[in-house]
Amino acid sequence: MSTSSLLLALLGDARLPSGGHTQSAGLEPALRAGTTPAEVPAYLRARLRTVTRVEAGTAVVARAVAAEGGDLDAVEAAWAARTPSPALRANGRRLGRGYLRVLQTLWPGPTDDRARHWARPVVLGLLAHRADLCPVDLARLVGYDDAQTVTAALLKLEPGDPLQATAWVRDLLPDIDRMARQLAPLRTPDEIPSGGAPLIERWAQTHDTTTERLFSA
Amino acid sequence: MPETTKTPARAMRLGVAGPVGTGKSSLIALLCRALSDRLRMAVITNDIYTDEDARFLKSAGVLDPERIRPVETGACPHTAIRDDVTANLLAVEDMEADFDPLDLVVIESGGDNLTATFSPALVDAQLFVLDVAGGGDVVRKGGPGIARADLLIVNKTDLGPYVSVDVERMVREGSAAREGRPVIGLSRTDAASIDELVAWVLGMLDTHRSGDHTPIDPGPMAPHTHADGTTHSHTPGRASAAAGPGA
Repeated sequence: MSTSSLLLALLGDARLPSGGHTQSAGLEPALRAGTTPAEVPAYLRARLRTVTRVEAGTAVVARAVAAEGGDLDAVEAAWAARTPSPALRANGRRLGRGYLRVLQTLWPGPTDDRARHWARPVVLGLLAHRADLCPVDLARLVGYDDAQTVTAALLKLEPGDPLQATAWVRDLLPDIDRMARQLAPLRTPDEIPSGGAPLIERWAQTHDTTTERLFSA
Repeated sequence: MPETTKTPARAMRLGVAGPVGTGKSSLIALLCRALSDRLRMAVITNDIYTDEDARFLKSAGVLDPERIRPVETGACPHTAIRDDVTANLLAVEDMEADFDPLDLVVIESGGDNLTATFSPALVDAQLFVLDVAGGGDVVRKGGPGIARADLLIVNKTDLGPYVSVDVERMVREGSAAREGRPVIGLSRTDAASIDELVAWVLGMLDTHRSGDHTPIDPGPMAPHTHADGTTHSHTPGRASAAAGPGA
């Protein structure tokens, strides 16, 4: 029996000790730049169509490449080329190290020395291969985690009803599922989507030099 | 350069926890001032909203600013030292890689409540800091940090007369709550107390290097009383009374 859906729950749980509580998925600098809490649903959809699609596509391709014993460095390079902000690349690689700890402890196995420098979606792809998380669930995980990261951060940054934030994530579930089904068949680095969100990238750069902040990124 | 007789496997990681305003940053500044010519040190801070502590330590001029780094915790100081130590552990690993070899890495928790203690997955030893200005009764409130941290600090003893706290009694009650584990009444104006702290850290470092030290988890919960009158602990083997319903 496949445990993929339970793995999705395990990995999508905020209690997973991978360092997720340090993240706002760009929301903290977005609010500082004038985005209002009421605009958060639109912010979630914008991410899902751009940066989150890149992340999810990268993870799916990394899983496929890992399954064939291919070179994950090539996947990492494709992700980096689609992530123009140095701050976001650095943050993604820090998150990758967090997931690498999860991987090496929960699903140990021989791991490339270069894995310490791989971004989160690349490590997640390797993890999904080793843990037997199916491609569509892997893409769902990336989409769901991004939305929950934004809304959980919103509760720390602005007053609001936690159930309202949860409703926004629920409303987004069909979109996340659609994205996951579209991305699940991807196999090679050149197939990774390349949509960008210049404002999100720019805000990330500003945030990187801000000292009064709750979240790393 | 400091000399070490044995090469440790890695630096000793020392956690400093305790409520806001009790003097954690000042204590770390004292340690840096007293030890940075003898030990190769680095400091990680966990501020809730700013890098205030890192800036304080840098401005104190007691350590190369490069060796002091803040870690953002997403407003979850308790999570960052206990439930999910990832961000802090990565910061410690980076420090150890960038300044190899190090003898001591001090991790300052963002000020939190009395239940916030470090996971043994992050630190080798930890001290818990209270201050007399917070009230003499705080030691009696208990909690895992007060009862079972490797060292309890009762800080700002020089303020006792100004806040009507009997410092000797506070230290005595702290010792009683800890079943003999060490307590130091500390003041930056009391050189003997600083010497005592420094000696404790050096002693712990020797134990760490000899490989004899096993990190102790103070535990998430202190023994506590329920409405039905039963008292119990969540730490195995520490039950203080017959467990009743709900224990």
